[in-house]
Amino acid sequence: MSSRSLSVAVLYQSLSVYNLLTMNLLTVNGLSKQYDARTVLQDVSFSVQQGEVLGLIGPNGAGKTTLFECLAGLAPDDGGAVSFHQQALTAARRKEALFYLPDSIAPWAAQTVRWALKFFEQLYRNRETNGATLAGELKLEHLLNAPIGSLSKGERKRLLLALGLLTPQPLLMLDEPFDGLDLRQTRDVMRLLRRHAGRGRTLMLSIHQLNDAARVCDRLVMLSEGKVVGEGTIDELRAQAGLNDGGLPQAGLEEIFLAIT
Amino acid sequence: MTAGCPKLGWRRYSLRSLSLLPVLFAKEWRELMASRAYWLLLIFIGPLVGNGFITAVNLYAEASGIGGGAAALAQGLTPLDGILVPTWGAYDLAITLLFPFVAIRLISAEKESGAWKLALQLPANLSVTIAAKVLALIAGWLIAWLPGLIAVVLWKFYGGHLDWPETLNLLLGHWLRMLLSAGVAMAAAALAESAASAAIVTLTFTLGTWALDFMAAGRGGWMAEVAAFTPVAALRWFEQGLLRLSTALVMLAIALAGFAVAVVWLQVGQRVSTRIYRTLAVMIVIAAFIWLGSMARASRDLSENRRNSFPRADEIALRQISAPLRITINLAPEDPRLMDYERSILNKLKRLLPHLTAEYAAQSQTGLFESSGGANAERYGEIWYELAGRKVMNRSTTEPIVLEQLYELAGIQAPAKMEEPEFPGYPLAAHPKAARWVFYALWPLAACLTWWLARNDRRLTL
Repeated sequence: MSSRSLSVAVLYQSLSVYNLLTMNLLTVNGLSKQYDARTVLQDVSFSVQQGEVLGLIGPNGAGKTTLFECLAGLAPDDGGAVSFHQQALTAARRKEALFYLPDSIAPWAAQTVRWALKFFEQLYRNRETNGATLAGELKLEHLLNAPIGSLSKGERKRLLLALGLLTPQPLLMLDEPFDGLDLRQTRDVMRLLRRHAGRGRTLMLSIHQLNDAARVCDRLVMLSEGKVVGEGTIDELRAQAGLNDGGLPQAGLEEIFLAIT
Repeated sequence: MTAGCPKLGWRRYSLRSLSLLPVLFAKEWRELMASRAYWLLLIFIGPLVGNGFITAVNLYAEASGIGGGAAALAQGLTPLDGILVPTWGAYDLAITLLFPFVAIRLISAEKESGAWKLALQLPANLSVTIAAKVLALIAGWLIAWLPGLIAVVLWKFYGGHLDWPETLNLLLGHWLRMLLSAGVAMAAAALAESAASAAIVTLTFTLGTWALDFMAAGRGGWMAEVAAFTPVAALRWFEQGLLRLSTALVMLAIALAGFAVAVVWLQVGQRVSTRIYRTLAVMIVIAAFIWLGSMARASRDLSENRRNSFPRADEIALRQISAPLRITINLAPEDPRLMDYERSILNKLKRLLPHLTAEYAAQSQTGLFESSGGANAERYGEIWYELAGRKVMNRSTTEPIVLEQLYELAGIQAPAKMEEPEFPGYPLAAHPKAARWVFYALWPLAACLTWWLARNDRRLTL
C-alpha cells in the first residue's frame, strides 16, 4: 500500500470515528441512479452534519442535481439508503426532513413576489423568520408587487432563496444558490446563509464556482462522474489529494479539485 | 429552531394537509384567474349560450303560434326540450372544446415552469393539492354558468314556465359532465409531458367516445350498454328529465379515476413501473365501482310530463310482477321501431322491474335484408316475453298493446285508468327581448372588464 493510500485509509477511518462522535443529521449510503443504461450516480455515500454548510461540488454532469432530486424524493433512485438522525428516511417522508430548491425554475409567473412570500408563510408558519424580513435581507422590497414572470434571473434567484429560507425543515438543499447573482449579491447571500446556519439550520449547497464554495462551506463533498471522490474540510481534502506531501500545503480548492478528479 | 428536533416526524404533515386546503385553493384560484384560457372561455360562453337561447325562444314562439301561425299541440311544448336543453347545450360544447384547456393548464403550467418540484414538497398530501385544483375548477365553472342562469331568469321574465326538479336535474347533469371532463383533462395533463400533448390526449378521449356512440348506434348489444355511459349519452338522460343513479355513479367514478390517475402520475419521485402498477390498481377499483354503479337500477323521473314513466295505474300494476322477465327483441339496432320500443317501453320497464333482462337477437345492423330473406327472416320483428316459464310473442312497439300483453302473461288484471292531471304544455309566443344585448354585448364586455380588473387589482384573486 502506498503512503498516499495509507494516509487516505487512516483519514477515512478517523472520519468514521468522527462521524460516530458527531451528530449526523443526514446519512446517505450507497445511493445509485441510472437513466436507461447511463449511470448517473454510483454508490454515493456521505453525511451531513447538523448545523453545517456542506458544499456539493463537481464538474458539469457530475450528478449534483440528480443527487439532490433523489434525496428530495423528486426522482426515484435505484438503490441505497438515506437516514435522518440515524432513522431510515423513506422517499415519501423526505419533505418532512428537508427542502430542496431547484435551479432554473420559474414558478407561478403571473403571481407577484408578495404573494409567493405570503403563500410560503401561510403554508409553513415558520416562527424563525418571515417574508418581510427576508424580502429586506434579499433586497426584494421594491419588487413585491412585480409578477414573478417579469423578474430577472438574479431577482428570481433571490426570491427562490427567500422561499427556501421560509421553510422550516432542518435541512435546506440549494442548487446553485449564487447562479445569476452579481458579486455584491453573492457576498450578501453568503452572509445570510451563514447567519441561518449559525441559528442551527443545516444547508447543503450545490456550487459550480469553487471559489464561492471555498468561501461559504464548512465541508465539501466532491462528486465526479456520479461518484463521491472526496469528502471533508479543505484541509482534509488537501490531505486526501496528497497535496501536503506534494509540496502544495496552501493549495486552493481548484488545485485540490483537479488533483482528486 | 426546528433543526434541533431530535427525531423524524417532527411535524405531522398529513394531519395539517386538510387545514391547508383553503390556502391551496386560494393559490389555485389565483392561477385560474391568471389563465387566459379561462377568461376566453368566460368571454365566449356568453355568445354561445345566447345563440342557443335566442334561437330556442324564437323556435318556441313559432311553435306556439307567434305571428298568427298555427300552434303546435300544447302538450308537446315543454320548456325542458324547447328552451333549457338547447340553451345549456352551449355548455356541452364548451366542456368539450374549451374547458379541457383550462383544466390542463392548472397542471401543465406547473410542470413546465418547474413549480411542480416545489409543489411536491409542500406540506400537504398530493391528493389535497389536486383537490384544491378541482375545487378551483368547480368554482370557475360555476361562474361560467352565469350566462345560462341569466337565460333562465330571462325566460321567467318573458313569462315562461319552469319546472324546478327537471331544471335542477339538467344542471346536475351538466355539473357531472364538467367533473368528468376535468378528471380526464387532469389525468391527461399528469401523463403527458406538455400541455399540447395533454390536449391531444383529451381530444382523443372525446373522439373515442363519439366513435363509440356512433358504432353503438349501429351495432347495439354490449357496445350500446357501454355507450350509454359516454359523456354525450350520459348527459342525454338528464336532458330527458331522468335522474339515473347508475349514470350519476359512473360519471362520478370516471371523474374520480381521472383525479386518482393524476395523483399517481404526478408523483414524479416514484418509478414508472410503480406508477403503472398503481394506475392498474386504480383502474381495477374504479372498474369494479363502475360495474357495480352501472347495475344500480334506482332512477327518478323528474320530468314534469313524466315522459320516462308509464301512467301511475300501470306502474302500480306492473310492480306486482316479481318474477324475472326476459325480453328477446328481434329488431336491428338501426331499425326505428327498436328506438321507439326502447324509448317508450323498455326503458320505462327497466325502471320498474328489477329482474328484467333484454336480449337483442337480430343479426344485422339495419334489418333491411334480415327481414327480407336471411336465416332469421321469419323471426325478424318479433318481440318475445318470457315470464315464469311462459312465453308470448308480440310485434307491437305501442305502449298500451305491450302492457296488455304483459298483464295477460303475468296473470294480472289490467288496471282501471286513474284520474291523473294531464301535462298541459306551456306554449309561449315571446320575443327574446334584451337577450342579444345581454349575451352578445354586455356579457363579453363584463367578462373583459373583470379580466382587466383581475390583472390589475389583486383583490379579485383572493
